[in-house]
Amino acid sequence: MDERDLINRVRAGDGIAERALYDAHVDRVYRLAYRLAGDDALAQDFTQETFIRAFERLGTFRGDSALSTWLHAITTTVVLNGLRKVKRFRQREADLEAADGVSGGPRNAEPDLKARLTRAIDALPRGYRTVFVMHDIEGYTHEEIGVALGVETGTSKAQLSRARTKLRESLADFAGEWVT
Amino acid sequence: MMQQHDDEQFEKWLQRAAQSYHSPVPTPRAAMWQRIEVERARRAARRVVELRPWLRWTLAAAAVLALGIGIGRWTAQHGTVARGGTPVASADTAGNRDVVYQVAATQYLSRTESFLTGFRADLRAGRGDTRFMGQARDLLTTTRLLLDSPVADDPRMRGLLEDLELVLVQISQLPAARNSHDTDLITQGMDQRSVLPKLRSAIPAGPVPVRTQGAT
Repeated sequence: MDERDLINRVRAGDGIAERALYDAHVDRVYRLAYRLAGDDALAQDFTQETFIRAFERLGTFRGDSALSTWLHAITTTVVLNGLRKVKRFRQREADLEAADGVSGGPRNAEPDLKARLTRAIDALPRGYRTVFVMHDIEGYTHEEIGVALGVETGTSKAQLSRARTKLRESLADFAGEWVT
Repeated sequence: MMQQHDDEQFEKWLQRAAQSYHSPVPTPRAAMWQRIEVERARRAARRVVELRPWLRWTLAAAAVLALGIGIGRWTAQHGTVARGGTPVASADTAGNRDVVYQVAATQYLSRTESFLTGFRADLRAGRGDTRFMGQARDLLTTTRLLLDSPVADDPRMRGLLEDLELVLVQISQLPAARNSHDTDLITQGMDQRSVLPKLRSAIPAGPVPVRTQGAT
């Protein structure tokens, strides 16, 4: 079915078309949510909220960009706002634990490369991390990222470059891995 | 030149290595779709109530009035008659109100039990038609009225009403071209939460005192 027809049918309240639209896009939305959240339950919540908003607002979709691009813009908004709330909640919990003298114990002094890379990506500033995940891991183009995040293509490129530089600095002691 | 080559090597390595970052699990499509439908129905119902508060109160008033008339008729037939033939009205207004709510709840639970039993039986027999969706919507309205009434002050009753609300939303939202998976999810949910056994144990023994139009 043509995407325009599908959208028109969803706007007309066709339940089968809604499901078809969901099936066509859910994998990519969920993948992005999971990559950014790093947690299945959160990724499911964000995916659900993305589609609920998309169905509510489909009437405002003008078709200037692809439907997938429009959906990914909603996804990134939902995920980034959601993660901000989660971060505040976790920070409060951490503060309470610190006040109680409870801690998770010392971390491994020298984690392996995979763990180090994960921590280095997690430690990136939010904008850098989002662009890095979308471009280098999920394969979005800078144009798609620009639309999804509401920034210029050049900003996306600059943030990716800075993200890579920061990761390179964080992983400097593993330099042999990529030189060989 | 050397630096540029090194950068390219690093970027290639980084793109490969980073694939393990928050590596996604398979998409739980069906489970998420079911929750999306339930949440959309819940929000739509909430919007209707928020936009039209008069409707909520009109429905509530109509339901209580209908029950009041029903009780009046029932007590006129079976109740105490004063000397001279004039029926005696009870002085205990709060008690009467509680009776009205209890009667409404009992009647609702009986209707819902009949409905869900019939729904399951039809599914097992490979039938199931769109009239179920209409009946589920009717019962859903009553469920929500009861959730806002003193009947829901009892935590057990509130839990049961919330379970029933979820099941009725799912049935009322069944797509016309449903498959067995859609209905399996509903029956599995009912089984997991023991909805029918809890519903049956909440219905008092004996006949339901009042029946109104549309009762199945």
